[in-house]
Amino acid sequence: MSLATSEPPAPPPAGESPSPVRAVAIAVAVAIVLLAVAAFFAVRAQSDESADDGWGGELLRAPLAKPDFTLTDTEGQPYDFRASTDGFVTLLFFGYTSCPDVCPLHMGNIAAVLREVSGEVEEKVKVVFVTTDPARDTPAVLRDWLDRFDTTFVGLTGTAEEILAAERAAHVPEAQLEIQPADESYIVAHSSQVIAYSLDDQAHLVYPFGVRQSEWAGDLPRLVTSEWQS
Amino acid sequence: MSFWCQALKEPWSWQFRAYPGVWLAAGLLAFAYFRSVWRRHRRTGAPIDRRKALWFALGWAVLWLASDWPLATLGASYLASAHMVQYMLYTLVAAPLLVLGTPEWMARRVAERFRIYRTLRFLARPVVAAIAFNVVLLVTHTPIVVDNVRTTQLGGFALDLLWLASGVILWQPLISPLPELIHKSFPVRMVYLFLAAGVFAMIPGGFLTFSSFPLYRTYELAPRIQDFGALSDQQLAGAIMKIGNIPIVWTVMAVLFFRWATVERDGPPARKPLNSPRQTTAPGG
Repeated sequence: MSLATSEPPAPPPAGESPSPVRAVAIAVAVAIVLLAVAAFFAVRAQSDESADDGWGGELLRAPLAKPDFTLTDTEGQPYDFRASTDGFVTLLFFGYTSCPDVCPLHMGNIAAVLREVSGEVEEKVKVVFVTTDPARDTPAVLRDWLDRFDTTFVGLTGTAEEILAAERAAHVPEAQLEIQPADESYIVAHSSQVIAYSLDDQAHLVYPFGVRQSEWAGDLPRLVTSEWQS
Repeated sequence: MSFWCQALKEPWSWQFRAYPGVWLAAGLLAFAYFRSVWRRHRRTGAPIDRRKALWFALGWAVLWLASDWPLATLGASYLASAHMVQYMLYTLVAAPLLVLGTPEWMARRVAERFRIYRTLRFLARPVVAAIAFNVVLLVTHTPIVVDNVRTTQLGGFALDLLWLASGVILWQPLISPLPELIHKSFPVRMVYLFLAAGVFAMIPGGFLTFSSFPLYRTYELAPRIQDFGALSDQQLAGAIMKIGNIPIVWTVMAVLFFRWATVERDGPPARKPLNSPRQTTAPGG
C-alpha cells in the first residue's frame, strides 16, 4: 500500500490576506490573553483560600463552649451530647432530611472525606446531626437518611422546645418554617454551618456552606491533633 | 429566563427552562445555511445535495440538543458528567456532522468572505489541528475555567463556541469541505485521529477519574441529584472523556482503513463519498 494519494492543489481564493505567520501571531495573542485571564482567577482563588491561616473553615475570634443538651437518638434513647462526644472532635449540624441543598451536601462531603482520611482520624471524629424538622424527621426517617451517607453518623431529635433549646445552647440561629404558597408544604430555614468542637470541648472553627471536600480533608487531621493551638 | 445557560443555585427540577439565545443562534445557523443553499439552487439551477443537507440537519440537531435544556442546564450547574457529554457532542458529533454537511462552494464562499482561507489551511495541518484541539480541551476543563467561566451566560456562550470551533478544526484534516485541506495520506489521517482525539484526552480524563476529591467547585457544591455523589459524578465525567470517544474514533479509523484498502485495490472512486479528497494515484501507488 502506498501511504499517500496525490491530488491537484486547489488555488486559494482571491483576496487572501492573513498569512500563516499572522495566524500564529493571532493564536499566540489569544493564548496569552487566555492565560492572563486564567492567572487572574487563579491568583484571586488562591488569595481567597489562604485566609484564616490555611484552614478551610472559619476561625472564630472567641471559641464557643460545647453545649450541654440531651436529645433522643435514632434508637429512641436519650443522648447526652456533651458526655457522649467527650474525647472526640465533634461536628455538629442542625438541619433536616427534606433539605434540598445544604444538608445533604454537608453530610455527603463530610462522609466522603471520612472515607479518605486515615483510620486514626476517622475514629476520632464524631458527626452529630440534629433535626430542625422533628414533625417529619422521625427517628426511623433520620436513620435511613443518615445511613445514605455514613452509618456512624448520629441523628438526634426531640420536641420543638428541646431542639430550640439545643440551638440556643450551640449559639446557632433558630430554625424557621417557611410555608410554600403553592402546595402548602414547607421548608425549614436553618443555620448552614457545621460547628467543629475540638478535644478541648470548644469550637474554634465553623464550616459554612461552600467548604469543599479537599478543605475538610486538610482540616480534620489538624483538628484531631489540636493543631489550631499552634 | 436567561439568554444562555448559566449556573443555578437551586435544586434541580425537570421544569423546562427557556434559553432564547440558544434558539436564536440555532435559528440563525439553520436559516443562513438553507437560505444559502436554496438561493444557489434558484440562481444556478444546481441540484441541492440532499445528503449534505441531511448531515447538516443532524449536526444542527445535535448542537441544539447539547446547548439547550436539560443537558446544558445540568452541565452548567449540576453534573460534571453532563458537562462532559456536552463537550463530546459538540466536538465529536455536531462538529463533524456540520463539516460533512457543508458544501465545498459554501466553505469557499465563507473563507473568502471572512478572509480566513490561509488561517484555515494553517489550522488544518494535522499537528496544528491536534495542538489547537487539545489546548482547548485542556484549558476549558481546568477547574478555574469551569468554575469561573462556564457558570456565567457569556462564559458559557464563549465556551460553547470555542468547543464547536475546536471540533471543526479537529475534523478539517479528515473531512474538510475544502478537499485540498484533507491530508493526502490515509495512515497519517488515522494516526492523527487516534492521537488528537483519542490519546491526549486520556490525561485530563485520568485526573478526573483518579482524583481523591472533586476538582470542580461548581459541581461539588451543587444540589445533588438522586444521591449521585460529586466524586462519582466526576469519575463518570473522566470515564466519558477517556473512553467516550472510542466508538467514534475507532469507527472513523476503520472507515479510513477500508477506504485506503479500496483505493489501493481499485484505484480512486469515480464518485467521492463523504468529502474524501480527489485521489488520482493509480493502484499500488
